[in-house]
Amino acid sequence: MEPLINVKNVRKIYRMGEERVVALDDVSLDINKGEIVCFLGRSGSGKSTFLNMVAGLEKPTRGEIYVGGVPVHKLTEEQVTLFRQKNIGFIFQAFHLMPMMTALENVSMPLIFRGVPKKRRKAMAKESLAAVGLSGYDNRKPTQMSGGQQQRVGIARALAGSPKIVFADEPTGNLDTNTARDVMNLIIKQARRHGQTLILVTHDSSVAEYADRIVTIEDGNILNMHMKGQGENDDKEN
Amino acid sequence: MSNFDILELCFRNLLRRRARTVLAVTGVVVGTCAIVVMLSIGFGLAASFQEQIESYGNLHMIEVYSGRMGGPVAVGSDDRGIINDRNLAKIEKIKGVAAVTPVASEYLTIAIGKKVAGTEIMGVKPEVLEKFNYEVQEGRLLKETDKNAILFGNQVPYWFYDPNNYVWSDKPTNVMTDKIILTANWDYGRKKTSGSGSGQDIVYKEYKVKGIGVLAAENDQSAYRVYMKLDELEKIQAQVRKERGERVLPSVTKSYDRALVYVGNINDSSAVSKELRNMEFQTWSPSDWLDAMKQTARMIQGVLGGIGGISLFVAALGITNTMIMSIYERTKEIGVMKVIGANLRDIRKMFLLEAGMIGFIGGALGSMVSCLISLLMNTVLRDVIGMALGFIGGGYGSSISIVPWWVVVAALVFATAIGMAAGFYPARRAMNLSALESLRNE
Ligand SMILES: Nc1ncnc2c1ncn2[C@@H]1O[C@H](COP(=O)(O)OP(=O)(O)OP(=O)(O)O)[C@@H](O)[C@H]1O
Ligand SMILES: [Mg+2]
Repeated sequence: MEPLINVKNVRKIYRMGEERVVALDDVSLDINKGEIVCFLGRSGSGKSTFLNMVAGLEKPTRGEIYVGGVPVHKLTEEQVTLFRQKNIGFIFQAFHLMPMMTALENVSMPLIFRGVPKKRRKAMAKESLAAVGLSGYDNRKPTQMSGGQQQRVGIARALAGSPKIVFADEPTGNLDTNTARDVMNLIIKQARRHGQTLILVTHDSSVAEYADRIVTIEDGNILNMHMKGQGENDDKEN
Repeated sequence: MSNFDILELCFRNLLRRRARTVLAVTGVVVGTCAIVVMLSIGFGLAASFQEQIESYGNLHMIEVYSGRMGGPVAVGSDDRGIINDRNLAKIEKIKGVAAVTPVASEYLTIAIGKKVAGTEIMGVKPEVLEKFNYEVQEGRLLKETDKNAILFGNQVPYWFYDPNNYVWSDKPTNVMTDKIILTANWDYGRKKTSGSGSGQDIVYKEYKVKGIGVLAAENDQSAYRVYMKLDELEKIQAQVRKERGERVLPSVTKSYDRALVYVGNINDSSAVSKELRNMEFQTWSPSDWLDAMKQTARMIQGVLGGIGGISLFVAALGITNTMIMSIYERTKEIGVMKVIGANLRDIRKMFLLEAGMIGFIGGALGSMVSCLISLLMNTVLRDVIGMALGFIGGGYGSSISIVPWWVVVAALVFATAIGMAAGFYPARRAMNLSALESLRNE
């Protein structure tokens, strides 16, 4: 089966004046449709950089990234926003909800950008809120909700348009352990239910047990990959 | 993203930072008011100029004189600048000309009973008087079938006096009578004083005529003239010349020394005058002043409008500033919107619309306030000025400030356009923000 995401020899170097930071050295990776992949690694190892490049938020210095056959690394910014609009949902560590909007309106945002008519998008957003256990919170502003609830709204927003791929960069980083567990369960449950491909970044290795695959990154390279079910180390040397 | 959704978002954002929006809008209101009020004063000025010129005479009328000095004209030779039937036909075809008549004129004495008045008698084609929009206050206009009939200008009946005691009365003489004598003798009715012996040897013929009407217009050229049929006056003229012993130059084609041209729309007057001068005629018309005065009014208006323009420009800077501030404030939001799928163009539209909306609201309020100010100027201020000058209602035209409807529309469009222009740079900036960096700065 053709992998949904195909990353070939990607390298990313940040230049800051004289200094060069190698955020990603040489990463190649295939991710299948419906797979749940969890990225682990120390701070500064390059996890976010990888995610951002696959999502088209940044361009690799070198290498190729194909998502559903689309060469993301070649798209213009205009094209890449359209691509994101259609295919990608985002869950942020800091929630990033619109402060002046209600939960329902926040969840509707990606649908507004897609041009979904008002009635329909309201129904979709309500459904999405219900799926994260927040029915009845339609008119709450973010400031009137707990962190866990806010992140649920964030999840509902990412899932509202049923994107093919969901990115979540430390979605539980701002939450306490118990809430984090609930939220993580929710994300994974939703992804499984809709057959979505989920790419997760987390520091919590206990999450690993839910994932189909665990990718450990160190200093911009993939250190090893665990495939669940195989139970063995699929070490990859670089 | 549908335009309606963009509009809704834009309104929410405007309402969100109410104080700032109100300030930016206020700037535009002031700017719009400045422009509209200044322009309205200019329009008021132009209108009062026009009122003033209209008091000089009929703006529709152009008097045309031969551009050449005497001299016989050979057949078929160049007849430019000569008022003959051929040229009159040409004049009639000029765009904007409603009616033309050749004119003969002679200064004659009109005697009614013991009283006399001397004035210019104009010989015209009777059918044009109606086309000239002349109206009578009494009696009727001249007709083709009239014989020995004269039509009085509005002021002429006030001029009659007894030549032997020079007592003027301020009551008009009844001119609607058939006992009128017309003569070229300027001393008619005066008792001969022996010894003065002015050598008055010529015996002028006296014509019996009747008054058939008095014109209504009080203050244009027609008020000071008396009209009769062209052919009749020409006969009188020929007779007078013979009596005075003047030699009449035999001209091959018949020509006149004057013509009256009536322009249907006074805005065409200056173009028609120009055309006539191009045909080498000399022209005179009150509308000649109109152009000069209009130009003055326009210049004043330009200066006033410029002052208003500066304040609108300042308002535009205010809008730009507001938008830039709002983008700083919303950097993170813009980043999030980009990541969750907002099109670049939609983001630009959002900010452009916000700025345009500030301009539009400001323009709309500004137009309303301007109309109010204009109203106040035309009522309260007018009386104040009137009192200051010692009279009420005079001095200035009927209104100080005039706001034509199209100025309101233009102000609205202009303010909106200014708002959009002011929002252009901030909108671009918002569009080009890097999503990742926006998210990072917290
Ligand atoms: N915009 C940037 N400019 C310069 N250097 C950057 C930039 N973004 C990331 N880096 C550097 O690239 C490296 C990888 O960063 P990245 O954010 O991918 O790490 P991470 O694995 O997500 O870490 P964390 O777990 O703390 O979020 C780091 O050394 C970081 O300093
Ligand atoms: Mg990170």
